Amino acid sequence: MKTRRLLAAASLMATALLVAACGGGSGDASGPVTLTFQSLSDQPAAIAQTQKIVGAWNTAHPEVQVKIVQAGWDSVYDKLITQFNAGTAPDIVHYEAAGIEPFAEDDYLADLTPYLSQAKRADFQKGVLDSVTFGGKVVAFPTEVQSYVVFANKKLLQQAGVAVPTGKTMTWDQLRQISKATTKGSTYGLGWGLSSPTAAFVALAPGFGGKYFQGTGDQANLTVGEGETALPKLVDEMAYQDHSILPVTLTQSGSKALAPFYAGQTAMTVQGSYQAANIAKDAPKGFDWVVLPPLAGPAGPAQAASPQTLSVNKDSAHVKEAAEFIDYFTNTDNLAAMNEADALIPPTNSARQALATKLAGKTGWDQILSSGQYITSAPYLFASKYPQWKDTIATPAYQQFLAQKIDANGLTTQLQNGWKSVTTN
Amino acid sequence: MRLLVRPAQYVALALYILFLGFPLLWLMSASVKSSGELNSLTVNLLPQEWHWENYTEALTRQGLLHSAWNSLLVALASTVLSIIISVPASYVLARLKGKVRAAGVGWILVSQVFPVVLIILPLFLILRTLGLADNLVGLTLVHTTYMLPFALWMLQGYVAAIPTELEEAGAMDGASRFTVLRTIVFPLLAPGVVATAMFSFVSSWNEFFFALVLLQSPENYTLPITLNTFVGGEGRTALGPLAAGAVLAAIPSIVFFSILRKKLTGGLMAGAVKG
Repeated sequence: MKTRRLLAAASLMATALLVAACGGGSGDASGPVTLTFQSLSDQPAAIAQTQKIVGAWNTAHPEVQVKIVQAGWDSVYDKLITQFNAGTAPDIVHYEAAGIEPFAEDDYLADLTPYLSQAKRADFQKGVLDSVTFGGKVVAFPTEVQSYVVFANKKLLQQAGVAVPTGKTMTWDQLRQISKATTKGSTYGLGWGLSSPTAAFVALAPGFGGKYFQGTGDQANLTVGEGETALPKLVDEMAYQDHSILPVTLTQSGSKALAPFYAGQTAMTVQGSYQAANIAKDAPKGFDWVVLPPLAGPAGPAQAASPQTLSVNKDSAHVKEAAEFIDYFTNTDNLAAMNEADALIPPTNSARQALATKLAGKTGWDQILSSGQYITSAPYLFASKYPQWKDTIATPAYQQFLAQKIDANGLTTQLQNGWKSVTTN
Repeated sequence: MRLLVRPAQYVALALYILFLGFPLLWLMSASVKSSGELNSLTVNLLPQEWHWENYTEALTRQGLLHSAWNSLLVALASTVLSIIISVPASYVLARLKGKVRAAGVGWILVSQVFPVVLIILPLFLILRTLGLADNLVGLTLVHTTYMLPFALWMLQGYVAAIPTELEEAGAMDGASRFTVLRTIVFPLLAPGVVATAMFSFVSSWNEFFFALVLLQSPENYTLPITLNTFVGGEGRTALGPLAAGAVLAAIPSIVFFSILRKKLTGGLMAGAVKG
C-alpha cells in the first residue's frame, strides 16, 4: 500500500506542472451547490434506498443538491487514491474504516468532529466511533457494520437432542459441545469458510482478550499471545481432535460454506451476519434455520469490526454542506432503512432499536442486532501495515496452521517475524 | 484399422472443442440458474428451473446496455486507430535496418515493463488538463496508446514474414513503392492485420483498470466497470446477474470474430517464391 502511495506521490510530483487547481463540488454563488456522492451500495435494495434518501434530501434542500455516482467495491482503493492525488475525489466518499486509514493519514479527509452533535456521538456505539477517529479527529460517520454469528439448522440440532441456546450470549465452549453433539455419520457440526481467516480471527480476538495491535500508523506494534492464538487453536482442536468441522470448509470462502449448510452436511456455520438475507433467499424450501446468540469468549462477546463509512473530501469546496448531508444520511430512520436493505447492523443504538422493533420475530434479526451492541474498537484499523501483513503474512500463516503444516509456535513466529519484515521494509 | 482413424480424429476434435467450450457452457448455464441453485451443492449443467430474471436484472441494473454501447465505441475506435498507426509503422520497423530500428524495437519492449499503477496518475492528470478525463475519447486514446506497442510487435512479425523478393519482383516490373505496398504487401499482410485487430478489439473490450480510474461518471462507464458493480462488498456477489451480464458481454466479441474469421486465412504466400 505504501509503495503504491509512494509511486502515486512520485508521479504526482513529476506531473505537478500540468495540473490546475481543482475542487470537488460545483456550484456558484447564484446557483445551487451540487455535491458528488460516490456510493458503493451494491445490493438492489440498498441502491434503491440510497436513491430514496438522496431524493428526500434533494427535495428538502433545493440549495444543496446531491448527485450519486455509483461505483463498485472491487478496486475502489485504486480509484480513490487516483482521485485524491489528482484532486478529483467526490465530495462524499463511501468506503470502510479499514480502507480510510491511509487517506486519513495523508490528510485527504475532512475533520467531521465539529459536525458531530453530542446526541449523535452518544448514539454511536463507542467502539464503532473509535474506529473512524484518527489523531483525535472523526474523519467518517459509520453507516453499517457486520458481526460474526452462528447460523444453525434447527432440525439437525433437535435430531441430535441439542436444545437451541437462548441466552443473551453463547460461549465458544457451548459451540464446541453442540458441534460435537451434532457430528454424526456424514454430518458435521460446523462449517466455517476460513480460506481468508485473518479478518475473522482478528475481529473475534477481543472475546479472548486478544488485541493484536497497539499504537497507530507506522508506530503500531503487533503482539501475538494467548488471546490472539486462542481462537485459531480452538478451530484446530475442533477440526482435528473433535472432527466436528467439515474439513473442506476450512479452505472455502464464507459464501461457499453455505452450500453444505443448505444440504444438511453441516449443522451450523459461522458467517458474517449479512448472510441472513442470502440464507432467507437461497436456502431450500422448508429449511428451518436460526441464528444462535452472540458468541462470547473468556473476555466477553466483544468483536472488532470495520464499519462502512461516509467521509468528506477535505478539498471539497463544500465541506460543511457535505457533512450536513452525511449527518442526515446517518439519522435514525435512514440508518435503519439502509441496514435493513443491506442486511447489516446499524452502528447507532437508536437505529438498532428501531430496526429491532420493526423486525421483531423475523428469523435471526433479534440475535444479529443483539450482536451489534458488542462491537468494540478495532486496533488493527490504526496499523498502517495491517493490510499488507494480512495479505502477505497472516493469511498464508493461518492457512498453514489450519492445514496442520505448522503448530501454534510456528504460527506465532511467522506472524511476528512477518510483521517485522513488513514494517522494516 | 485405417477405417477407425477418421472417426477417432473427429472424436478427439469434439473432445477438444468441448474442453475449450465448457467454461462458456457453464457460464451460460449459470446465467439461467436461480440464486438458490447457484449456492447449492447440486452440480447440473442444465438448470433445475430456468431463471431468466438474471438477464432482466443484468439489463435493467446499472445501465448495462448503455455501458456495452460505450465499450463498443471505445473498442472499435481504438482498434481502427491502432491499426491505422501500426500498419505503416510496423512496415518501417520490419524493413528498416540500423540504429533507428533498434531504438524503435527497444522502445516497444521498454514500454511494456512499466506497471499500470505507475503511469495511471500522470496519465489521468494529462487527460484532465486536456479536458479528456472522464471522457470516452480520452479512454480511446489511452487504449490505443497502450495497445500500440503490442500491435506493432505483432504486425512487424507478419511483415517480416513477407519475402522481400516479392517486393523486389514488383519493383523490377516497374511498380512504384506505393503500388508495391498496395498490391503486394497489404494483401499478404491482411491476415496479420485481422489478427491484430481482433487482439486490439478484445483488449479494449475487456480493459478494466484504465476505465476504472479514468471514468468518473456512470454514463461513461464501460462494460467491465458496470459488471464490476455486481461484485459487492462483504464478499457478496450477484452470481446469476453477473453470469448473465458476462454472457451478454461476450456476444459482441463473438460477432466481431465471426465477421473477421474468414479473413484469417493462412497460406496466402504458399508458392509465392519459387526456389
